[in-house]
Amino acid sequence: MMVHNPLSVENLTKRFGGMTAVENVSLELRPGIVTGLVGPNGAGKTTLFNLITGNLPADGGVVHINGRQATGLAPHVIARLGVARSFQDLRLFGGLTVRDNVLAATENSSWPWQGGGSRAARERQQATDAAIERVGLTHVAKIQASDISYAEAKFLSLARILATGAKIWLLDEPASGLDPSSSQRFVRLLKDATAQGVTICLIEHNLDLMKATADRLAFLEQGRLLALGSVDEILRDQELVAIYFGDKSNAA
Amino acid sequence: MITYFVSLALLAVIYGIAAIGLNILVGSAGIFSLAHAVFFGVGAYAAALMAIHVTPDILVCCGAAIGVTAVLSLCLAFPALRVRGEYFVVASLGLQMVAATVFNEAQGVTGGYGGLAGIPAPTIFGTFSLGTPTRLLLTSLGILLLGLGVVLAFMRHSFGRALGAIRDSEIAARAIGKNVELLKTTAVVLGCTYAGVAGALFAFDIAFINPESFTLDQSGLILTMVVLGGAGTLLGPLVGAVILTLLPALLTFLPMVPPTEIGTLQQFIYGLTMVLLMIFRPAGLVGRRSARR
Repeated sequence: MMVHNPLSVENLTKRFGGMTAVENVSLELRPGIVTGLVGPNGAGKTTLFNLITGNLPADGGVVHINGRQATGLAPHVIARLGVARSFQDLRLFGGLTVRDNVLAATENSSWPWQGGGSRAARERQQATDAAIERVGLTHVAKIQASDISYAEAKFLSLARILATGAKIWLLDEPASGLDPSSSQRFVRLLKDATAQGVTICLIEHNLDLMKATADRLAFLEQGRLLALGSVDEILRDQELVAIYFGDKSNAA
Repeated sequence: MITYFVSLALLAVIYGIAAIGLNILVGSAGIFSLAHAVFFGVGAYAAALMAIHVTPDILVCCGAAIGVTAVLSLCLAFPALRVRGEYFVVASLGLQMVAATVFNEAQGVTGGYGGLAGIPAPTIFGTFSLGTPTRLLLTSLGILLLGLGVVLAFMRHSFGRALGAIRDSEIAARAIGKNVELLKTTAVVLGCTYAGVAGALFAFDIAFINPESFTLDQSGLILTMVVLGGAGTLLGPLVGAVILTLLPALLTFLPMVPPTEIGTLQQFIYGLTMVLLMIFRPAGLVGRRSARR
């Protein structure tokens, strides 16, 4: 029996007018590990996430999720295939409480009501409370999401992903701006998730955090995948480091 | 005098039902519509025609109003909700313009400028007459409570959370599996049917309808009721409807104001109230007082 990687993209391409944001990118996310996506600003990392999750239509290439062709599917359909994502600007549901932000993520019926009766409702509530507790937000569960601190908002974003039950996470700078202790807590949560079989693709500019979490790195520049390898391999490559930090910094 | 206050209360309840419906769009789903008076009008015409030609049974007439407004709102929602929010505002404005023309020109159906007169007094269960303002008020209050109950049931559960998620971030709502188009369409249809029912009650209340009651001004008035009371709150739209319905009547009791100046004063007070509200209570009278811990 053929075993598929949880997520793979082949020759994925996206052009905006004359500019190619993502060019023939082929990448496989292996099960239960963290694949870091690094590269300078404008390298096409977030665009790649938008293509995978159906928020942008691809100009070429295919996306496979657990072996199923997922190119061109609507974002909510891709989410229901088990792909969850976070956003650089978090995009919390500010008018809802912290708990309702997470509870909403457990409710995935297309209709205005949820199936499964009271037992399923109880299970959703339990999953919600468990996700909130896991990220340490129980004390603010009843507070409106627009009123919590920046660090709490970051963890709420993660709780929302946890609650979806998705096994593939695409995280876009999830720990940027966190203090060291919160960052460590974040790393522990990601490691717990991978230990439970979650596959993660992580965009992060904090290379220390990347070293602490990523099992391998993919390096993007100007929409092209330049290198794919272990964290050490990528970070030891002077040419890539020069591209990442700019020539000036390399010269120094 | 009592009859006058009953009439005012009835009008406040009718506008309250329409405002509660618009609040589903504006407050819960973040969909701004400038065409709520269209659905109010369509409901009124549907109920009036049903009452004149078939039966004045209020349940049948409200059912007809719900059916027709649901279909019309679907026609608006399907194409308009596939584009960004501001385009829906423009589309709804366009619908308001088109509807105003249709209400005026489709004389065979709407009676044109002359409107539809002789709408019979409503009955319920075929025989019991609701022909007095008090009976119609009590019936409308019952419908209002039922409407509030339906909103409460929806909004406190997954539908309300889903709409709140969509209102705050469509892309994030999609990312957690929400079918945004379907949920927004449901919200539009549900909200517009409230306007249809309110229109049906309005037709029975006035016993005569013409296009002047369903203009862009009316859409603006209902939207103001929602914003003034508190968009996204359960009782805010009702509070807004009561205030904006009673305000003109209360102004007539001011001894120093000549009747010819009441309209101007009313506009001034509306404007000033909205400005002050946006400064001191941006979330409306019933909305949250502060936004920060």
